[in-house]
Amino acid sequence: MPVLVSKSLRDYRRSLAGWTVGITAFFALYLSFYPSITKDPELYGRAALAKFPGAMRDLMGGLEDFTSGIGYLHSLVYQLFGPMLFVVCAAILGNRALAQPEESGTLELTVTLPVDRRRLVFERFAALALGLLGLAVVTFLAVWVLSSAVDMNVAFDRILAGHTGILLLSLLFGTLALAVGAATGRRGIAMAVVGVVAVGGYVVESMGRNVDAIAWLRWISPFHYYLDGRPLYQGFPTGDYLVLAGATVVLLVTAILAFDRRDVGV
Amino acid sequence: MTAVVRTEGLTKFYGDRRGLEDLDLEIRPGEVFGYLGPNGAGKTTTIRLILDVIRPTRGRVTVLGTDPRDARVRGRIGYLPGELALEGRERARDYLAFLGGVRGGVSRERIGALAERLEADLSAPMGRLSKGNKQKVGLIQAFMHEPEFLILDEPTSGLDPLVQQEFLAMVREVRASGRTVLMSSHVLAEVENVSDRVGIVRAGRLVTVEDIAALREKAVRLVEFHFDAPVPREAFEGLAGVRDLRVEGASVRCTIDGRPDALVKAAARFTMVHMVCAEPDLEEIFLTYYSEEGEHHAGAGV
Repeated sequence: MPVLVSKSLRDYRRSLAGWTVGITAFFALYLSFYPSITKDPELYGRAALAKFPGAMRDLMGGLEDFTSGIGYLHSLVYQLFGPMLFVVCAAILGNRALAQPEESGTLELTVTLPVDRRRLVFERFAALALGLLGLAVVTFLAVWVLSSAVDMNVAFDRILAGHTGILLLSLLFGTLALAVGAATGRRGIAMAVVGVVAVGGYVVESMGRNVDAIAWLRWISPFHYYLDGRPLYQGFPTGDYLVLAGATVVLLVTAILAFDRRDVGV
Repeated sequence: MTAVVRTEGLTKFYGDRRGLEDLDLEIRPGEVFGYLGPNGAGKTTTIRLILDVIRPTRGRVTVLGTDPRDARVRGRIGYLPGELALEGRERARDYLAFLGGVRGGVSRERIGALAERLEADLSAPMGRLSKGNKQKVGLIQAFMHEPEFLILDEPTSGLDPLVQQEFLAMVREVRASGRTVLMSSHVLAEVENVSDRVGIVRAGRLVTVEDIAALREKAVRLVEFHFDAPVPREAFEGLAGVRDLRVEGASVRCTIDGRPDALVKAAARFTMVHMVCAEPDLEEIFLTYYSEEGEHHAGAGV
C-alpha cells in the first residue's frame, strides 16, 4: 500500500473505529425493535402511519410500510439515518484529507515531501475510500446478520444493494468535502457546503416527489440517485449508482487540479 | 558549479500585499547562507517559494538545478518550517519513520542517534510535546536523511542554549561534508558564527548580500590601548577609521571602523602594556541596514 494511504488510514483509525462501533450499535438497536413491532401490526400498520402529516411522511421516505421486514429496514436504516450517519463520517474524514491539516499547519511538511501534489490528493482520496469501505463492510455484515436473526426476510443482495448505495453516496460527499478543502483550504467552508448539499439534497429528493415546484431539482440531488431506485425493494439501480460514482470521479479530478494550482497555507 | 538556489526577479504578492519583490539571489554549493530580516520581511515567503509550497507571482526559481515543482527534488532537501505543527496522539518516532520512508528510507539508528544528540523525546504523543521538543523533532526530520540542501526557517527558536550549540555543531558538520544550508533568522547573533554569507531582507526586498568576513571588516570595534607612560593625543588624531577618541594619561580608547592598520601602526610607536579589542558588533551594522530601509515599511508580510 502506498505510504501516504497507509499513513492516512492510521490517522483515521480511531475516528473510523468510533464511527463503526457507533453506527453498528445504532443499526443493531433499531433492528432489535423489529420483533416487538411485528407482534403488534395494528399499532404500527398502514393506518397508524397515515396519521402523520403528509409532508412529514414524505421527509421520512413515505412511511408506507413499517411492519414488513423490507419496509422497516428501509424506513429506519436505509432511508435517512444510515445515509446521514455515513455522510457525516465521510465529510469529517474528507476534511481531514487536506483542509484540516492545512489549517493546523501539518500539511506544510507533507507538501514538501518528494510526493507530487496530484498523487498526494489521490492517495488521501484512496484512504478515504478504503476507510469508508471498511465502515460499510462491517455495518453491512451487522445488518445482514441481525436482520436474519430477527427474521426480517430481506434478501442478501438487497441489503448489499442498499449498502452499496450508502457507500457510494457517502464517498461522493466525502469527496465533496475533500474537493472544497482542496480548493479553499478551509474546513468550515467544506463542512458548510456538504451540509447544504446533503440536507438540501435530501429535502428536495424526498419532498420533490409530491411537490411539483421543486420536482425538477431532484435530478441534481445526490440522494436522488440513491433513493429513487429503491435498492432495497428493487435491487441495484446500476445506472443511478454509476451517476454517483461518476460525480465522485469528477469531484476528485476537480480536487486534484485545484490543489495542484494553488498556494498552500496562506 | 551550478547554484543550489537561483532566483530571478522572484516576486510574490498575496492579493495586494507584497510578500517579496524582485528577489535575485544565488546560494552556492557548500555554503551556509544566513537569511536575515525582521519578522514579516519575506524570509518565509522566499523559503516557501523555493519549496513550491506557494507559487511565484512573477519571476523564476530553480533549486538544485531544477524547477521546484518537480517533486523528486524535494527528496534532496531537508526542511524545517518556521511554524512547525506537530499534533495528535502519534508518537514522534512513528512520524519520523513515516517521513523517512517517503524520502527513501532512514535507519532507526540514525534517528536514534540524532534524538540522543539533541536530547529529544520521541516516545510521547506529539501533541503533548513542549515547543522546544517539537523544534527538536523538526530538526531531526530535517537532518535525518542527510539532504544535499538544508532549509531551516528560524531553527533556533524555542531551543535552550546548550541545544543551540549542538545544533550549530550539526550545521558545521553539514558544511564540512560539502552540503549547503539556508538558514533564516531575525537575530544576526544566531547565524553569524556559522554563516559564510548573509542576505538581509527588509519589507519584501533584498537589501544586501555580504560575506560575513567582509561584514566583520566593516564592523565598528571598540579598541583600548594602555601604555607605560602618558601619550600625546595628537599621535592618534586624524587616523583613518578612528572615531570617539579619548586619551587619558597612558590609556587610549576609540572605536575603529574598517581596517585597524593605521591605528595599530600609530600605537606601535609607544610601549604598550595592555590592549583590548572587542568583537565586532555585527548587530549594529545589521540594525543600520534595517533602519536605512526602514523608512518605507509598506505592507510587507510573511
